[in-house]
Formats: sequence, C-alpha cells, structure tokens
Amino acid sequence: MKTLRILVILPFYGGSLPIGRYVTSALKEDGHLVEVFEAPDFYSAYDSLKNLKVTTDRLDYLQNSFLNVISQSILAKVETFEPDLVLSMAQAPLNHQALKRLRRDGVTTAMWFVEDHRLFTYWKTFAPFYDIFAVIQKDVFFDELYAVGQPNVLYLPLAAQPDFHKSIELTSVEQRKFGSNISFMGAGYPNRRIAFRELVNHNFKIWGTEWEGDHVLEPLVQLKGARISSEDCVKIFNATKINLNLHSSIQADELVTFGDFINPRTFELAACGAFQLVDKRSLLPEAFEEDELATFSNMNELIEKIEYYTTNPKECEEIAKKGRERVLKDHTYLKRMRTLIEFTTERIDGWPRQQVHSKIFSKDYPPELEQDIRKLLKKLNLPEDISFEDLVWAVRQQQGTMSDLDTAILFLDEWQKLYKERN
Amino acid sequence: MKNYLVIQLARFGDLMQTKRLLATLCARKDAVVHLCIDNSLQSLAYKIYPQVVIHPVAAHGTGLNRSEAMRAMLQDNRKAFARLKSIDFETIYNLNFSGLNFRMAGLFDPEKTKGYSWQNGQEIVGLWPSMAMRWSKFRRIAINLVDFWAGYCPDMIAPESVNPAAQGKGGGIGVVLAGRESRRSLPANILAKITATLGNSGKVDRIVLLGGKSEQAAGQSVIKGLPRNLQEKTKNLAGKTDWTHLVETINSLDMLLTPDTGSMHLAAHLGTPVKAFFLSSAWCFETGPYGLGHTVYQAVSDCLPCLENRPCNNDLKCLECFTDPSFQRFLVTGKPEHAPAGIIGFKSDFDQLGQIYTSFAGINTDMEQRMKFREFIRQHLFKDGGKISDLEKLFAERVYREKDWMTFPQPIATFG
Repeated sequence: MKTLRILVILPFYGGSLPIGRYVTSALKEDGHLVEVFEAPDFYSAYDSLKNLKVTTDRLDYLQNSFLNVISQSILAKVETFEPDLVLSMAQAPLNHQALKRLRRDGVTTAMWFVEDHRLFTYWKTFAPFYDIFAVIQKDVFFDELYAVGQPNVLYLPLAAQPDFHKSIELTSVEQRKFGSNISFMGAGYPNRRIAFRELVNHNFKIWGTEWEGDHVLEPLVQLKGARISSEDCVKIFNATKINLNLHSSIQADELVTFGDFINPRTFELAACGAFQLVDKRSLLPEAFEEDELATFSNMNELIEKIEYYTTNPKECEEIAKKGRERVLKDHTYLKRMRTLIEFTTERIDGWPRQQVHSKIFSKDYPPELEQDIRKLLKKLNLPEDISFEDLVWAVRQQQGTMSDLDTAILFLDEWQKLYKERN
Repeated sequence: MKNYLVIQLARFGDLMQTKRLLATLCARKDAVVHLCIDNSLQSLAYKIYPQVVIHPVAAHGTGLNRSEAMRAMLQDNRKAFARLKSIDFETIYNLNFSGLNFRMAGLFDPEKTKGYSWQNGQEIVGLWPSMAMRWSKFRRIAINLVDFWAGYCPDMIAPESVNPAAQGKGGGIGVVLAGRESRRSLPANILAKITATLGNSGKVDRIVLLGGKSEQAAGQSVIKGLPRNLQEKTKNLAGKTDWTHLVETINSLDMLLTPDTGSMHLAAHLGTPVKAFFLSSAWCFETGPYGLGHTVYQAVSDCLPCLENRPCNNDLKCLECFTDPSFQRFLVTGKPEHAPAGIIGFKSDFDQLGQIYTSFAGINTDMEQRMKFREFIRQHLFKDGGKISDLEKLFAERVYREKDWMTFPQPIATFG
C-alpha cells in the first residue's frame, strides 16, 4: 500500500481524544507517515481565559482569538508537512476559516465524527466544510448530511486497538484492586443510574466519573469517581468476570434504549477477551454474530443473564473468545483507517496526489550505509520502500537530539533543496 | 577543559569575519575551541586559526551530483557529525540562518545552542539573531558582522586585539577583481583606472591581480587598461592561487584594492592595508574591513544598500561616483573637496562595541543615528541599560519584541 502523509487533529479533550490516539497508532502501524496536532497541550491556556473576570463580550473575543491561533497553527503544520489527508477527530479545533483555506489549497480533509448526532448537533455547521465525513450512525443521519451539503458520508463504526486492548496477566494486587464479579466502567448517565440500582446487592464495582450525588450507588463507585486512565480500563476489563456495557442515555424513562451506534467499549472489551453483557443496538447484528456477544434487552433479562453467566463461566469464556476473534478480524482501528482511505480514494478525484518521491537506495549504494538505514527504517517502523522525502519527515518527527545518521539524512535533504537546480 | 563549537557554514568572507568570536572563546580559561566549516575552506581554516580544532563538512554545492552528494553527506559528513556528537560542548554557536545549520543543530541540546537551534524537529531562531533580523530593516545603521557574531559572548575580547593594525609590507599592490556578487564589484575598466592612479602615484614594483578562474578574463582586461609601465609589473594570478599562495601573496602587499570580498577580510586579518570600494548591496557598516589602518570608499545614494537578489532600477547609479574623473584625484589626495558626489571616504576605527568608520570626506548623514544605535546595542550586550535617549527609545521599540522579555528564559536575577 502507498505510504500516505496524514495529519491527525486531536480534540482538546473528551471521548474522541483516546480514539484519535488509537487512530494514530493504527495509521503508523500500516506504514503511513502521521503527524499529530496535540490540541490537549493548548487547552489549559484556553481554559485559563475563563479566570479573567472580564465582560462576557471580551471573554468571547479572547476565546475566539485563541481558537483562531490554534487553527492557524494547524494550517502552518499543513504547510510544512504537506499531508495527503487532514483527519480531524470530533471536536477538533479547526475553525470554518481554516477549513475553507484548506479546501482552497486543495488539501483533502476528513472528520471522523464519533459522536451521537442527535446529542452533538454541531455537525450541522461543520459537516459541509469537510471533504469526507465518517460517522458511527446510519440511515437518517446520512440523509441529514446529504441535505446539509455533505455528499461523502461513510459509516465507520468504532473499533479496538489490539496492541492496547488485549488480554493481560494481572498481579494479585491488581486483581484485588480492579477485580469483581460485575463491573461497569463509564460515566453516570441517567439511564445507568436507575438501572444499576437493581444490582447493588451483587459484588459490583462502578468505575468512572459523574456518579456524584447518588447515595444508593455511591458505595459502589471506585476511587471516589476519579477519571480512569485507558490503561486502567484494560485492567478492569481483564479483572472482571462480567463487564456490564449499557449504552448511555440522557433520559431515564427507558433504561435500554435500543439505539443505533455501538460504543467503543463494546469493541474494547471484546478485544481484551473479556466477557461483557451489552444492551441490544440496531447496528450490533452487522458487527457481531449472536454467539460472539451476550446481549440483553431489558433489566429483567440483564439480571437473569448475570445469574446465568455467573454460574456458567465456560460459556462466558467461549463467547469472549469468539468476540475477540471477530474484533481482531473486522473491528480494529487499522481496518477502519483502511476503509476510510479506500473511501477517500473512491470519492475524491485524483486522491492521493502524486508527489515527487525519490528512492532511498540506488544500485551502487554503500552496503554498510544501506544496512544502517535499513536499521533506522525498522526503528522508525517505516516500510522498506518508503521514499527519501518521507524518511526525512519521519526522522524529523523524533524527539530530543538526533544521531549522526539522522542529521546526515536531514542535511542531505536540505542540501538537495539548496542546490537542486544545479543537479 | 571546556569545549566550545562554532558552526560557520558560509563562505570565505564569513569564515574570516568569525574571528572575534573565535578569539574570544580561545581567550577563555581552559577552552578548546572547535570550528565546523565547509570542507572547501579546510586548508585556509587550518592556516588562519591554528589554535582551533577544525571540523570540515560538505555543505556547499560546488560540483557535486546527487550521487556524490549522497556519499559526501551520508558517509563523510556522518563521520564528522559522529565526532562532533561525541564531544561534550559547553556551548554551540550556530551562526548561519540556513536549513543546513538548523539540521546540524539537531545533534545538540537546544539549551546549549546559541543562534539557530533545533528543538524536536522545530527550527528555533535565538534572540540575538532575531534582533539582527529586525534591525536589518534599517541597514544603513547596522553593526559590523564581526562584532555581531562576537556579540554572542558578553566577554568578547577588545576589538583592537582582533586584527593587527594594518601596515604596508613592501610587496606592491594587490587588486581583487570581483566578489561573488558582480554588482558589488567595479568593472574592469574602472579598476584599471584606479590601479593606474595608485600605481603611478607611488613607487610600485609589483601589481598582482587576484580572483578565481572565472575572473581571468577580467584580469586580462584590467591589464589592457593599464599604462604600459604598469602592465609590465602586473601579474594576473586569477585562478592560479591556492589558499596558501593567496595568504602569502596578500601578506606581502603594501595595499589591497578590493570590493567587499573574502580577500579583503583576509587582508584585514593579516594586517595588510585595504582600500575597499563599497557599492550596491555592500555596506561597510555591515561588512567593512576589520581593524585599524583601512580605507573604505562607500557609495551613498537613497537606494543603498540595496538587496542583491533584486534587480537595480536605477541604472547602477551608485557606480557613478567611481567613474567620476574627480575620483582618481580624490584617491590620491584624500581631500574632502576632491571627493565626487555620492561617496563617503572612511577610515577604520573602533569604539567600545567594535568596528566603526570615521568619515574624512563626504557627508556622513546617518552618523548620529548610528552612534545612538550602537549605544543601544552596547547597553543590551553589556547589561548596562540605565539611560535612554529618544532615538534609543525608537530602536528599543523596533528591535525588542514583547515575546523577548515575556518569555525570557533566565530573567536577570534582580533580587538574587
């Protein structure tokens, strides 16, 4: 596959942030050259504006100005890196003006909108400015996006990152800390608060934020409702006998909402080889067969199945094994990125643009040097047929001081730019 | 023992103009000074800076095709880079605003690198060169490049101790035919007239014409333009001198006639008197000869100094003062009343900051501003900023930027 240059724009924070990082890993794993705009690094400065105690119009002006600087930073990065694709995660801080500029300059842009479009309605203003709009819902959302002027809509469900979401050996201390018969990892949405009250008599641990003020569930909430790192999530998944996975809802009338999209936890739990009980979703059957996931449709069924699977651990293992195999086969971020790239190739004429690519090695290349450069390619996880131009960028991406070989490569690149007209 | 590295990847003239910085570093206690240069200047560097450890690299494009460049950069340069990386440098002075310099800086800790550094793939321009880029907008004022590069070191040695005071060595006149930028050089017919005037005004036994291979024809034209008595004494050495020969030749002369060239700086280094002709983009306050005993004829007009890479829309009017017949007389007498319009005659001199030029003919209109600017820079470099005049206030506004002081890495410890 052709090595592409992809600039991933992370959001300041939120659920799409870890997904952006998995996307980055997957693209690199597939041999692409990836640059990341680290928006989280800028967020504390942005947030500090709120402490100014100034008039609201001034604050508004300052916040917009700050976000404009952020967008300009991204444009500058595009100018230097010359990506084939700018891939924004939901809430990426790229404003309208910057998106217009990218379109004018012929830079292909895509957003992976990993949100529920009914709740996060800002897609209405941004979707037309992207060349590709990937979403985790179908049907009516597709129609709405077409109506708003976005013709290139791709259904791209969430996934797992197998080198991160995996089965791990836990120490006895970790098993004690993170383990339980039943657990739930996620935020305290209204439907979950009501639903989980029925489980208080079980050996049940609740992990995650936004559970404050619920006296019934409070004793079950771990670490005083602190945010749980992605690494610890994997430990919890691995340590738990039955992982509950109830999709969130902002209303509490119906605890199981039969919504459409599949949350990332579904794929992550399965990738870990952990057993989960997940509520039925309309898009679930096309992602998993019935014997690959255990599901429930209402609270009674959930309670029944908890009791059933508690006493049938072998069956749990079997389902979890199949679920894991399915994720590794079909639901990895690597797969998702390949789908996105294929879709972009189909939809955008002449994409990716042909760029000048020089071969690294020529016939009379000194063997020792070739060996050292091949070692460098391996270290940087680059394909053997990568162009010299892409190697230069990959070397430049490294942190800290450079080695003699790194410097020599960058020096040669600069020399060629300076004297190219003479050769 | 403390190791210091200077990276100077530019040309002959720049290598010569790095002297005050190198001499300052050499004067430090227990210092071992290293200099990284283009390999074409290697033998010259050994000769002029014998106390410095030379690290040659292939930086210039002279005559290399892609395959040769690949070997030069990835094999030879790599070895040089490995050597440099193995040395624990106290400070690295990276002097040139060039992609090559930025990439080399990647070898070193950006905290230890002055000038142009590299931080996790980002090119960073230091405060001092940033200031210079800002004041380049008022180039007529300027400071000498030798002093600018020495300005990286607050303990810079006195300007008087950089080069010996110039005095004739008895070996006749040297004539540098052209610099790298042809517009900054005098045409052969004018050069011949000047050479004839100075050659006949004193007792000259020898005239040598200096330059590269490409100036051989210009040398022949100069010889043709000389009176017969001088033709016999003239040798066209263009393209025939290696570095050793060039150093020996210039070191033997009574006087070097030259535009703004590397040879001019070499003459200043050796203490050979220079008569320099500055026009077009050449401005003596930036790159004039360093030391005492030199003379500069600086063309002045509203459009000077211009930019080399922009075409001249004024029919090279800065050349007129050198073609004016009275210039020949002025060359001999040095009297202000003989100076043609559009020229200033300067003698080299020093102030506390470094090289200055004192006018002996023509109107030195920018002098007051220049002095104030030098005072502003002096206060900045020597942390002696207790006073301010209106002009300095203007410079402060133009040369300092908010980010300089808002993000200054090591605030001066007023309270200890």
